[in-house]
Amino acid sequence: MEKILQVKDLNISFHTFSGEVKAIRGVSFDLLKGETLAIVGESGSGKSVTTKAIMRLLPEHNSEIKKGEILFNGKDLTKLTDKQMQKIRGHDISMIFQDPMTSLNPTMKIGNQIMEPLVKHQNMSSHAAKERALELLKLVGIPKPEIRINQYPHQFSGGMRQRVVIAIALACNPKVLIADEPTTALDVTIQAQILELMKDLQKKIDTSIIFITHDLGVVANVADRVAVMYGGKIIEIGTADEIFYNPQHPYTWGLISSMPDMETDDDELFSIPGTPPDLLDPPKGDAFAPRNPYVMKIDLEQEPPFFKVSDTHYAATWLLHPDAPKVEPPEAVKRRQSQFSSIAGTASGDVRLEKSNFPGTKEGK
Amino acid sequence: MANKEKLLEIKNLKQYFNEGKANEVKAVDDVSFDIFKGEVMGLVGESGCGKSTTGRTIIRLYDATGGEVLYNGTNVHGKKSKHQLKEFNRKMQMIFQDPYASLNPRLKIADVIAEGIDIHGLAKSKKERMEQVYELLETVGLNREHANRYPHEFSGGQRQRIGIARALAVQPEFIIADEPISALDVSIQAQVVNLMKKLQKEKGLTYLFIAHDLSMVKYISDRIGVMYYGKMVELASAEDLYKNPLHPYTQSLLSAIPVPDPISERSRKRKSYDPASHNYDNNESVEFREVTPGHFVLCSEKEFNQYKVISKH
Repeated sequence: MEKILQVKDLNISFHTFSGEVKAIRGVSFDLLKGETLAIVGESGSGKSVTTKAIMRLLPEHNSEIKKGEILFNGKDLTKLTDKQMQKIRGHDISMIFQDPMTSLNPTMKIGNQIMEPLVKHQNMSSHAAKERALELLKLVGIPKPEIRINQYPHQFSGGMRQRVVIAIALACNPKVLIADEPTTALDVTIQAQILELMKDLQKKIDTSIIFITHDLGVVANVADRVAVMYGGKIIEIGTADEIFYNPQHPYTWGLISSMPDMETDDDELFSIPGTPPDLLDPPKGDAFAPRNPYVMKIDLEQEPPFFKVSDTHYAATWLLHPDAPKVEPPEAVKRRQSQFSSIAGTASGDVRLEKSNFPGTKEGK
Repeated sequence: MANKEKLLEIKNLKQYFNEGKANEVKAVDDVSFDIFKGEVMGLVGESGCGKSTTGRTIIRLYDATGGEVLYNGTNVHGKKSKHQLKEFNRKMQMIFQDPYASLNPRLKIADVIAEGIDIHGLAKSKKERMEQVYELLETVGLNREHANRYPHEFSGGQRQRIGIARALAVQPEFIIADEPISALDVSIQAQVVNLMKKLQKEKGLTYLFIAHDLSMVKYISDRIGVMYYGKMVELASAEDLYKNPLHPYTQSLLSAIPVPDPISERSRKRKSYDPASHNYDNNESVEFREVTPGHFVLCSEKEFNQYKVISKH
């Protein structure tokens, strides 16, 4: 599979009054052509910062990319000038934001907002751009586009506005689409429509999507692969099936079992104790160690490397080390693992433990 | 439920905004249901369906346009002396959605929590007041040192715990929780829900739990009401509602929730709801009818008979 975007060992800090916040601490991943990669994690885990770095939307006065590169088309995005970046932003890589109420310009007609990237990036005449805008509105399922094109954002409902935002993002047929919690502000029924629309459009224009969300239900619906972030790092990455049915990191276990599913009965819901780490002063070993019920001595001293579970599945937890004691995951996870063996046809206990680098850091495979 | 004592009876509750004007909004339109003592009643629906307004009208943050809310047999609305109102306010408390907006940023946590204690004169001395605050903080999983801090020093989950402590301060019987976990992270949501469940068991509280996250509502609620455009369209036990949804809107809502399970997501068939699909005649009366014991659906006579047949299987 062709790699569209490669993020390598990204480190980002924010300079604040109270000190340096190490928001991203060594994040690497690849985005393949035509796939949807979901990044999950709680607020402050660094998922939005990572994607804002790709778009180069981080505030210049207090943020700093300490280390690492973001490769797109052979170019390192972190080294581009603002002018060069403007050519890419909205053209090759575009973004859908969380809140459709604030991401549109309230004083501009919808049509003009969709035409803007077309005129700017593709040098279209305003007549051709208008034609294309009508086409796009039809594509994202807005009825009566001829009338709607001359209306202002306040005349649209939340779901319709998000469709407009998607139309703008897709105007130039981007190679990468970053969707930062695109459905969080919407109702479930509208959310279902938007997710269906995005999947449908992805097939039509063959774009790769990075989908940020904290809703595991949405992840299960859209993702081909899933990266779980915690404390500024990716702690587990794999295909959707691997993450949902054969998770290895205790944090992923916690996330999955703290969501009630239809089978959860009356006893107490599994919850992860404590709060996320303070990235002003990140913990020495595994950032999750203070909240980890399976914590070992080494977790407090050394950061775990990535252990390979399968060719596509990696997890950063010492529990996968051959010398680690065997632990019992929570009930809900065990239920899922038993399902996994029937999907994959391999016994879930039989994972190959192999110390390995993260795939993104290995070149030319 | 073994204990079927009615704590609250909501009868034909109506809440109209801009009444009589062209832009009249029937936010709550003729809604009736009961809440039993010691149960968790869930209320779900899309934004704008009137679920929050229902909660706010029950606790008299709004004056109802019509209908009655009976709490232990006495009407919440209607004329009341200051004393009666105060008495009533003590029994019913509310937890709000946004833990960032619902705490006064200028008050210390001790004063946020003790406001109710002061108003109702529940503490005889300063020492007793602080003792109560400390105890409440510990009940919700915080510690006494937190009493002297300000709201901005807390995370979202901690603030929601403070909101719960404040509601508990006056020893209420009934708590309306308006989307108490929507603003929180997944790992923190479970903590708050567990806390609310624990408190309910220990103190015998009754909750009205308003939310749009249906899986969490199913988990915490005994019974669930589904609202659509100001009307309650279905009311049943949590089990029953999920296993045997009858109203087409409930079916569409349930089919829209993504579940954290890729296999079932791949085979998901989404149903959409069109209010016109009912095809009601003008003379048909559309009422809230009991299809099976405890399972109510808003339907016409004809639909009622169909639903009865479906439920038998």
